[in-house]
Amino acid sequence: MIFGKNIVVTGALKGIGKVAVERFAEQGAHLWACANFLTPEFVSFCSELSKKHQVRVEPLCSDFTDVESVKLMAKQILAAKVPIDGLVNIAGMTKDAVFHMTTATDLLQIYQVNVVSTLVLTQLISKNMMRQKAGSIVNVSSIAATDGIAGQLAYASSKAALNGATRTLARELGSYGIRVNSIAPGVIDTDMNLNVPADILNERISSTSLGRIGKPTEVADLMCFLLSDLSSYMSGQIIRIDGGMA
Amino acid sequence: MIKLLEGKNILITGSNRGIGKATVEFCAKQGANIWAHARSASDDFAQFCQHVAEQHQVTITPLYFDLRDKDQMLVAVKLIKASPFPINGLINNAGITYNAIFQMTNEHNIEQNLQVNFVSHYLMTQYIIKLMSRHGGGSIVSIASTAAIDANPGRSAYGSSKAALLCATKALSREVGQMNIRANTVAPGITQTDMLSSMSDEVIAEAAASTALRRCGTPQEIASVAGYLISDHSAYITGQVLRVDGGM
Repeated sequence: MIFGKNIVVTGALKGIGKVAVERFAEQGAHLWACANFLTPEFVSFCSELSKKHQVRVEPLCSDFTDVESVKLMAKQILAAKVPIDGLVNIAGMTKDAVFHMTTATDLLQIYQVNVVSTLVLTQLISKNMMRQKAGSIVNVSSIAATDGIAGQLAYASSKAALNGATRTLARELGSYGIRVNSIAPGVIDTDMNLNVPADILNERISSTSLGRIGKPTEVADLMCFLLSDLSSYMSGQIIRIDGGMA
Repeated sequence: MIKLLEGKNILITGSNRGIGKATVEFCAKQGANIWAHARSASDDFAQFCQHVAEQHQVTITPLYFDLRDKDQMLVAVKLIKASPFPINGLINNAGITYNAIFQMTNEHNIEQNLQVNFVSHYLMTQYIIKLMSRHGGGSIVSIASTAAIDANPGRSAYGSSKAALLCATKALSREVGQMNIRANTVAPGITQTDMLSSMSDEVIAEAAASTALRRCGTPQEIASVAGYLISDHSAYITGQVLRVDGGM
């Protein structure tokens, strides 16, 4: 679906991002795998993927709490002077707390990482896409943005901001042939669930139509679809991948 | 190339033109065996099925029946049941369009839209789910319309019939998830098919310009989304409505 495409993936160090990098490489895409910091394990993970699938997997890092650091990373990507076909904004953070215990500092940090830095990167990368008159941007939102989840005020509202950005950017960038969509995952088997009490987690899983937790590979498959030409007439959409919740 | 639909056996209704025809082509290319439904037999359609089947090395069986006739539907279901291919995909695509303002829509028009766009799919899905549940699951895709959600003027009868289809598909997804059956809806926007001939060029151009991508969609662009939803690449997506509308 995405063979030979050049794709930027953020949040690639772990969870859905790491699995997405594996999936995209397996399908023959060339990647910039962006992490918040580079570990020797991550660097060798990238080079092994590169060898195994005969694709380019370049590890990069930037601190999403710092806009300048994100700009610097974008410059490194743009310096390659190759057409960028896809951008997958996965990098994100959460600090769960009830509303009255949510501090302004935490709010600002979460908005900084999930919204501001993501949009700054998107601004810079989409300039390259505008020149090609093509491209696909996939933002990773959450069902929390539309459903609301108690204890996730900062996270949910930041993802709702991202959904607004998706719809707006779809309109602004559409005339340049760039498509912009959001993915809203439900309960996916990653370490983001570690902080959720087991009974709440089980209740949420059993409330799905399919009665099971989602796999990171399943989210990666949806990303592949949205990056590919199979979804060439889809833009401005927020697609739930939740096993059937709403 | 990875084939999305290898091992899938799919019934596609209304497959002699427009989105249905493009869906047959897409699914065959992706490795699926297909029962291609059309209302009446024709040499052209039989040749089309044979040609696409040979091109992609799959089996395509034309099935002729009237979706308004329950007895004919049951005969077709028996054929599917008796075939060596276990059915694991259903694309409810057949449909009619109708444009008239609310006050000019008569009883006959309302009933016809509901019958073809809703009731027939409801019944067919009931029959096919019975078969799927014995085969370990499957995926159902209903082709509705953005008119079902946006409620456009002049589209009250058509839009309501598609909204009914959308709701039934979503409710169904909650009932059959435990059987590993998924159900989703595709809502196409302005798509280049015969259905557009019921609208003036001016209206079409205006609608196309209002999309983010500034153009109409093609039947192929709807077909690829329907095919994706049948495939295991959408294994955790159910109960959803995917708008394929270029951004409206």
